[in-house]
Order: sequence, then C-alpha cells, then structure tokens
Amino acid sequence: MSQIIISVGREFGSGGRVIAEALAERFNIPVYDRHLITNIAEKTGLTHEEVEKYNEAPKSRLMSRRVRGFSNSIEDNIAEMQFEFIEKKAAEGESFVVVGRCSETKLKKYKGLVSIFVLGDMDAKTERIMNLYNLSKTEAKALIEKKDRKRKSYHNYHTGLHWGDSRLYDISINSTRLGIDGTVDFLEQYIKARIEKNN
Amino acid sequence: MGAAQVFAVIIFVVMFLMIVLDKIERQYVTLGCGLLTIVVVFAVCMHSGEVILDTLAFKDFATAQFWYQVTESESKGINWATIIFIAGMMVMVEGMAKAGFFRWLCLRIAYLVKCKTIPIFITFMIMSALLSMFIDSITVIMFLAAVTIELAQLLKFNPVPMILSEIFCANLGGSATMCGDPPNIIVGTSLGFSFFDFLSNTGIAAGISLVFCVFYFLLVFRKDLISKSADGDVDMSKLPKPKDAVKSKKDFIISSVIFGIAVILLVTHSMTHLTVATIGLFIALITLITAGKGAIELIKKVDYKTILFFIGLFIVVSGLEETGILVFIADFIGNISGGNAMIMTAIILWISALASAFVDNIPFAATMVPVIQSLSASTGMNLTTLAWSLSIGTDIGGSATPIGASANVVGTSVAAKNGYPIGWGKYCAKLAPATLIVLAISTVYLFVRYL
Repeated sequence: MSQIIISVGREFGSGGRVIAEALAERFNIPVYDRHLITNIAEKTGLTHEEVEKYNEAPKSRLMSRRVRGFSNSIEDNIAEMQFEFIEKKAAEGESFVVVGRCSETKLKKYKGLVSIFVLGDMDAKTERIMNLYNLSKTEAKALIEKKDRKRKSYHNYHTGLHWGDSRLYDISINSTRLGIDGTVDFLEQYIKARIEKNN
Repeated sequence: MGAAQVFAVIIFVVMFLMIVLDKIERQYVTLGCGLLTIVVVFAVCMHSGEVILDTLAFKDFATAQFWYQVTESESKGINWATIIFIAGMMVMVEGMAKAGFFRWLCLRIAYLVKCKTIPIFITFMIMSALLSMFIDSITVIMFLAAVTIELAQLLKFNPVPMILSEIFCANLGGSATMCGDPPNIIVGTSLGFSFFDFLSNTGIAAGISLVFCVFYFLLVFRKDLISKSADGDVDMSKLPKPKDAVKSKKDFIISSVIFGIAVILLVTHSMTHLTVATIGLFIALITLITAGKGAIELIKKVDYKTILFFIGLFIVVSGLEETGILVFIADFIGNISGGNAMIMTAIILWISALASAFVDNIPFAATMVPVIQSLSASTGMNLTTLAWSLSIGTDIGGSATPIGASANVVGTSVAAKNGYPIGWGKYCAKLAPATLIVLAISTVYLFVRYL
C-alpha cells in the first residue's frame, strides 16, 4: 500500500477523535493525537497537563513576539514541535492518522493525504458532551463554544486559512447524519477509493 | 491640532498597535504606514514636496558628510546610515556564522574553563556581553543558547539559568557601544555621536552593571547550577571539539580578520572620521568579495525584513516630527519635570525602560530621539545626558520581559525548542529584578556623573 495520511479536523463534540481512532484501526495505522502530547511532554520535561494547556492553543498576541522566525510563546513552540513531528513522519513515508494540528494544510504536499473535517449538529454535540463530561446543557454548550473558538484561532493563526472552510478539506462530513459508526463506514469507503486511485 | 498632526498621530498609533498585535508582518506594517504618512500627512495635508524629499533623505548619499564626517551633525528623515550599517554588519555576521566562528568561540571558551559549570556560566555571560558590543544580540544568543543547551545535556546541568543570564548580558553588552543595539545606532547616527562616545559613557555604566549582574545571577541561580555529575571529573572526550565547529579553515581565518577590521574601524571611527555607513558598506563589500561564489548565499541570508521595517518606521516617525507632535511631548516632559535636570533624566531613563519592556524598543528610540532634541532645545538640558538616559533605558528595559528585546525572544525560543520552555513567570522572576538593579545603578551613575 502506498503512503496514506488521514488528517481529521473536527468540531468539539462531533466525535472526530473517535472517528479518527476507528479509521486508524480499520487501516491498521497509528493515530497521532494524544501521542503528540506525550511525545512533547517527554521532550520538554513538561507534565502532560502542562502540554495539554498549551496544546492546540492560540498564543496570546500581547504576551508574545516573533523575531526572525523565533517565538517566545510556549504555545507556538509546542505547535511547531508537533508540526515538525508529523512532517518528519510524513517525510519518512509513514502512513498514519493525525487529529487536528492544522495537518490538512501542513501536510498538503503529500500525495497520500486525505483530509477530512468532521462537524455535527449543535444539539447532537451538546448531548454527547453532556454525557461524556457529565455536564448540564448550558455548561456543555459553553464548553463546545470555548473549545471550538480555541481550535479556530489556533488553526487560523498557524495557517492563515479558515478552520472548517470546506475548501480546505477533501471531505467535510456531519457526523450527526449517519452517526459515528456510519460516518466511519462511509469514510472508510472513501479512503479505500482514494488509495485505489493513488495506486 | 491640525489635520496633518491628527493623521500623523493616528498612523503612528495604528502602526504601533499592529506591530504589537503581529497579525501582519511588521515590515509591511511600517512600510504601509510610511506610505500613508507620505501621501496623507505630507502630500494631502501639508502640500509639501520638500518635506517628502527631506524624509526620504536620498540626497544624504550624495553628501560627503554621510561617508566622511569631520564635524558632528544630526540627521532627519530616513536614517540611511543606520540602515546601511545594520545591513553591512548582517552580511559580516552571516559570513562569520557560515565559517563556524561563533560555535568555535563558545566551545573554545568551554574548553578553556575545563567545562566546569560555574566557570562556563561566568565566562559565557561575559562573552555574551562582549560579543554583543559589536554584533547583533540575536546572532550572539542564537549561537550561545544552542551551545549552552548542548553542553548542558552532556554535562547534566540545567541550561535555563545560563540562557537567561546570557540574554540579560547580551542586552547589557549591547548598551555599551554605538553598534551594540539598534536604539544606540539610531541615537548615535541621529545625534552625531561616535563609538567612543558611547563606550566612555553608556559603556562605563554597562561595565559597572555587569559586575553586579554576575554576582546577582550567581546568587539567584547557584542552586540550579550545581551539576548532577561531579564537577571535578568531567569527561571531556564526549564533548564536541572546537576545531570541529570550523567548517573551512580559510573562511574561518578570513571572517575572523574581517571581524577584527570591523572592530578596529568602529573603535577608531572618531579619529578616521569614517562614518558607520562607510564602515558598514566597506565591511559588507570585503565580506562579499572574499566569499567569492558564496556571496550570493550571504546576500540572500540578509534579513531584508528588518531593513524594510526600519525604512517604514523612520518615515512614520518623520510624520510626527514634521508636524510638531514630538515637540508637544517634549514640552510635556519639560513641564512635568519643572525644568529639573534630575527629574528629566529619570523620566527619560525609566519611561524608556518601561516602554521597552513591553514594546519594540526600535520604534520607541526612533520616536524619542527628536523628543529629547526638542526637550534639550526648550529647557537647555544637556542633550548628551538625555541621549545616554534614552540609550540605557531602551536597551536595559528590554531585558525585563520575554518580549522586550529580540535576544529574549530568540533565547527563550531556542530553549523551548530544545525542551526547556521558559514562560513569563520563570523569566520575569529572575530578569525583572536584574533589570531594576541595573536601572537603579544607571540612575545613580547618570546623576553622579552628569548632574
């Protein structure tokens, strides 16, 4: 099989991460998501919680500065370490699934890239988050909005492109329509077709 | 307030905000705002072609004064001398870096002190200050921080205290000379000071402060510096050899000689009457000629963004100057100080330091030069004292926060990329007090020596 890189962008609560993990299992390839946090934590000596704090987070513009490509922002440096990590894996020819990390843009030059954006209806996402984190409806909604705002700002800062804009991805899919399992089945077929075409 | 003044202020404030927000690359911000200044302020509001020509200052190149200066003179508009000098030094520094000079120097010193942690800590601080007197602090820190991390990993010590001290000393060393830090080049070329003027004034303040700082950093970092491996038995065989850093012996010798020539020309420029523009151009030319085929690569590596940033910035500041806004500010400072020299000196020093801790000190210095000129003219206060206050304030104030100066950003970034993130808390806890100490020393120095 030629190289396949599945990039999964996602709205919070849409089940994007679960979908990414299921796809990795079906294609028997690794998934880089939590792994990226562990890897950075090992390299930096930060705790997982600290890396989590800076992970996929936009930097504070007022508290940071960039000089000749160098940035004092820990968020920026962690993001760049993650971009370098996935870029290295891609350059080595490895096949993998990567969740977020602007991967649809950062890995655009690789022929084997299949970029997916998973979205969902607000009601469905809210219900999912209420169950997962044991939150009230208002709290779940607020959390979704907060997380998505953070992801959008992070993505747009590092790529200069609009997060969730369908033109950035090969396929944008609403996971509420088919449910998580149905979405995975559908995407599996699509990816198989892409692999066939690449071969 | 006339329309020209209103627009000049609006353009300046927008430029500053956009630099801080960092949404658009800063050279586009200053160039765009510079263009607006020319069109809106000078052409539309002031209808003055003469002001535009004065601001663009192309005629400076044709004057002998620009290249060979016997009497001190002050410049207006785009400070081309600063731009040519910075570009020339960039070419030289690229040549030195390519030849492996900086890495060789760092490793050589580490070997000289037998790779013992405390002596490395002290010598690297002093080296950082000395190199920054002649070379831009970004380059100094880029190499020092990288070698510090390499040594830290091999010798098992925490590199963060060392990097923080190096950053601080790079900014301190930069304040000692005319070419050490961009604000000093702007102050020096705008007001007609020489390298030696800086060395014998801000240089002495920096020298005294350096002694205090070495003790301060030893005191606050002593616990972090204790190596995990016994200092006595360092296995130096595992360490990279200085000679391995030299990529080409010929290039290394050439770049060292050129650096030596640059230092001699700078130190003696008040005697030879060669201006910094001439020195910058000459150094760049000999670097490029001796580089042969590598010249194109060196030219490509020059940081054009910074050069363009300077050009736009000088135009915007000229907008404030030509419309008389900076005289307002000068009068305001003159009034609140009640004409008291001590208060004026302290205001310039501490306000410059405070501003530089949070915003880029280059636009700040460029704006403040005409302010101190007006202040001196209206109050009779000695201009040189105000100039040293401005230089020390902008150079030293920048050390207080991770975003205050370029060296801080580069140093903390190199550390983070190698697994040693330095946040605001960790940075400010140690360097903000050091900044306050140096500012206090400088205040006393300025008061005792000049007032």
